[in-house]
Amino acid sequence: MVVVGGGVGGAAAVGELRRAGFDGGITLICAENAVPYQRPPLSKDFLLNGAAATNCDVQPPDWYSQQEIELLLGVRAAQLDLAAKTVTLSDGGTISYDSLLLATGVRPRTLPGIDGEGVCYLRTMGDAAELLDRIHAAEHVAVLGGGFIGCEVAAAAVRLGKRVTILEALPTLLQRALGTTMGELIAGIHRGEGADVRTGQFVSGIRRRGRGLSVITGDGTVDCDVLVVGVGTLPNQELADRAGLPVGNGIDVDEYCATQAPGVYAIGDVAAQHLPSYGRLVRVEHYDTAIRQGRTAARNMLGAREAFTDIHWFWSDQYEHSIQSAGITDNPDDVVMRGSAEQRSLSAFQLNGDRIRSVISLNRPKDVLDVRRLLAREHSVTAAQLRDESAPLKRLAPPPQRAATAN
Amino acid sequence: MTAQWHETVNVDELWEGDMTAVTVDGENVLLINVDGQVRAYTNSCPHQAGPLDEGDFDGEKLTCLRHMWEFDADTGCGINPDNAQLKTFGCKVADDGTIYVDIGR
Repeated sequence: MVVVGGGVGGAAAVGELRRAGFDGGITLICAENAVPYQRPPLSKDFLLNGAAATNCDVQPPDWYSQQEIELLLGVRAAQLDLAAKTVTLSDGGTISYDSLLLATGVRPRTLPGIDGEGVCYLRTMGDAAELLDRIHAAEHVAVLGGGFIGCEVAAAAVRLGKRVTILEALPTLLQRALGTTMGELIAGIHRGEGADVRTGQFVSGIRRRGRGLSVITGDGTVDCDVLVVGVGTLPNQELADRAGLPVGNGIDVDEYCATQAPGVYAIGDVAAQHLPSYGRLVRVEHYDTAIRQGRTAARNMLGAREAFTDIHWFWSDQYEHSIQSAGITDNPDDVVMRGSAEQRSLSAFQLNGDRIRSVISLNRPKDVLDVRRLLAREHSVTAAQLRDESAPLKRLAPPPQRAATAN
Repeated sequence: MTAQWHETVNVDELWEGDMTAVTVDGENVLLINVDGQVRAYTNSCPHQAGPLDEGDFDGEKLTCLRHMWEFDADTGCGINPDNAQLKTFGCKVADDGTIYVDIGR
């Protein structure tokens, strides 16, 4: 069994292979020279508390040898031969596989001309370490892109006492992911914490200014010491593409996490998964999904035929605020609200007929847990019930045992 | 070392399926009644120290709402992630219903 990619998804997969009783050879190919680690803290605790205080390891370093998992660090999969069932490595070696899992993740989308000294993109622990040094040395931190990475880095920089400017092209922060109402609430939180949130800003380039930078926007310039760019990602699908696997926005897989090549699977940020319940390909770039897909794919690599049906869930922590979501929101502006925007305790539900399709919550994690349970069950709901905070969400599903004994 | 039993609440105040936070000699302790058996854990998620008593307990599974880490309420073993473990304290219920906890000091 060969797994390409040392993120949390790949690490979960190798763990699940062993847990499920597979006792043959397992190789995990990691491009970075580090044992698999968790990326979510890199934009939060790692910046706030430093590298030494933030243990991101998925498993202790000696776990892999204990599990007899061959860990190749600092090695890339350069080429994939589906007919020969081999992977050629960047160090020149070749390994053969019976079953292969592609968990190659994504890389930050870069902007032409916005690079060089003082410009930081954040993906790896190395990126985070450099960013941390630069933020500490900076007075003014500019963030280009008001998505999750940008907002989380901005929150950390504010907490570290820095002057922070967020530049976002859309009318509000996190608009695509969370919708206008929730995005405005998040923007209000950042402004309340002292960040300068500038939306509708198109950045055309940067200019060097002494040791710092000037960011050129449609309205003028923003001077800063460091510019953090978080403007989305590109899936690392070239290995699959060159091997002839179908790719589009990610590597196409079915609900079993399988590609079209026998024995070859893909999971995590790079995988565009066909989900029958949504009727389309869904590529999710979140920690929990990568882990759960990794486990499902591992079992399927061992001969199971298990569809991935776990409920999608993600979180983002900014300052003391918790954003969480369950399900997949197609249109975050077509939602029913529960709670109070003024009190920053709000959930946005998307409905699909009389079923809940998804929820996005600010500081209402209980709603997210309730929805996560409801999504796995039969339930029926109206918009009025969702708006009525006195009606508990968990009552929306019939209690199955009691219903069964009522007759 | 002999156990140091500290008196906490009465089991009458902790119904099956309930949990509550108590302070024992400065230690934040979660008491949880799993099917009539009382368990005592540190009231702090091993992930990022979220208060577990503000989480969710469905009778079997304890969920920290900060990042949805899940634990078997009976054993304190992590369910998701499965390599987590709640710190467990000794715990007993006296004949009069008083719950005693030993935090190891």
